[in-house]
Amino acid sequence: MEQLFTGFKTIAPSIPYIINGIWVTLGIALGAAIIGFVLGTLLSLCKISNIGILNGFARGYTSIFRGTPLIMQLALAFFAVPQLLGLGDVNATTVAIITFGLNSGAYMSEIIRSGINAVDKGQFEAAGALGVGYWPMMKDIILPQAIKNILPAMMNEFITLTKDSAIVSTIAVTDMMRRSQIVSAQYYTYFPPMFVAFIMYYLVVLILTFIGGRIERRLSRSDQS
Amino acid sequence: MIKAEHVYKNFGSIKVLKDVSLQISQGEVVVIIGPSGSGKSTFLRCINLLERPTSGTVTVDEQNMTALKPKQVIKVREKVGMVFQHFYLFPHKSVLENLIYAPMKVKGLSKDEAVRKAEELLKKVGLLEKKDQYPNKLSGGQKQRVAIARALAMEPDYMLFDEPTSALDPEMVKEVLDVIQSLAESGMTMVIVTHEMGFARQVGDKVVFMDDGRILESSTPEAFFSHPQTERAKDFLEKIL
Ligand SMILES: Nc1ncnc2c1ncn2[C@@H]1O[C@H](COP(=O)(O)OP(=O)(O)OP(=O)(O)O)[C@@H](O)[C@H]1O
Ligand SMILES: [Mg+2]
Repeated sequence: MEQLFTGFKTIAPSIPYIINGIWVTLGIALGAAIIGFVLGTLLSLCKISNIGILNGFARGYTSIFRGTPLIMQLALAFFAVPQLLGLGDVNATTVAIITFGLNSGAYMSEIIRSGINAVDKGQFEAAGALGVGYWPMMKDIILPQAIKNILPAMMNEFITLTKDSAIVSTIAVTDMMRRSQIVSAQYYTYFPPMFVAFIMYYLVVLILTFIGGRIERRLSRSDQS
Repeated sequence: MIKAEHVYKNFGSIKVLKDVSLQISQGEVVVIIGPSGSGKSTFLRCINLLERPTSGTVTVDEQNMTALKPKQVIKVREKVGMVFQHFYLFPHKSVLENLIYAPMKVKGLSKDEAVRKAEELLKKVGLLEKKDQYPNKLSGGQKQRVAIARALAMEPDYMLFDEPTSALDPEMVKEVLDVIQSLAESGMTMVIVTHEMGFARQVGDKVVFMDDGRILESSTPEAFFSHPQTERAKDFLEKIL
């Protein structure tokens, strides 16, 4: 017990370094979420379209990204693809954001598609009967309602991204996870640095969950008729 | 003028419309009645091509709708307003926004113009003071009056009503029927599907009785309600009156 206490004391100077890794973690999650949202929206529109080739592409895309381990995709994007294309050294954080974004796009497209399907068919008809074309209808009438339906699910996706982003430590991005490993190696002690990171991850997820809950409550209130 | 000629509509193997022909002249109010499932809604939706007929033609102002590409169909639809049983207001837009959206987006009206027109229409349906409310704050009757105003905001030449009062509490039926009636008096060409027989009689120039995907009778309200020709119509009227 006392040993543990001195352990924490020893690494104390490095604790802020670990904690500040959360910004790297959140930055990757946020960047990926933005890419994932835009991509997911486009893919979901492909999935509900009746143009065979778009439909097939979106389905295939989703199937591949959901059917392989994320850590494998990350390794492929960081180690294999640059070598194949002769790109030399690539920025690990950039690769991480893009890979997570591409991966998240697959999941988001399913979420958004379910949101679109949950919009009353009558909304499509009302817009159609007013002579509103397909794209303005989607952009102004359908998607705003769809996204409102799925905000909680998207918040969950963001939380998942935040947690899963810990695997970027395997491609040498100094996120919070990686920093806890670095500090461990520095002081030859594992428990204190990892415990700090562990608790921080949990705190951040708790905060995000809380914010998500608030948003959900506010939405359901404005829905009451 | 709207002309439907030999319209058939199948959903898979279900034959919903079987050779329906109907002509609606300028200024005419046609009321369609008939039992549930007889294809009234489907026929109405075939008129503005929300549903594409399996065969047959629909002509709006000499334009053969059934021969048009989807993009061109949308263009002609501007002329044909539609009001639904369940209103289908845009829930994320205020009453005013519901009214100005399509005129601005589709007709390219400026916001000022669209707002001026919308407020005029809201006054006409007696809901100007609700213009900044969201649909979920309105009663059913109010929603339907907004939906009618929204359709009128596109300045259509024709209006289609699909059971506009069927989803309303009884005490709200009249306020909606009054709006439709005054529209009829202003000379709007209309097709109305309804179960309100008194209203049908009062407002219709022509009553069309549909059953099992066919038009069985088409006559003046007087003739239809006092001397229905077919057994099916007699049965139907007995049950409903
Ligand atoms: N999209 C669809 N797919 C399959 N069947 C359909 C579809 N739309 C309508 N039908 C069927 O077509 C038939 C006629 O439907 P329709 O809604 O036109 O009847 P209606 O006369 O309007 O009835 P109601 O008075 O109940 O509104 C019904 O049997 C219905 O189940
Ligand atoms: Mg119907």
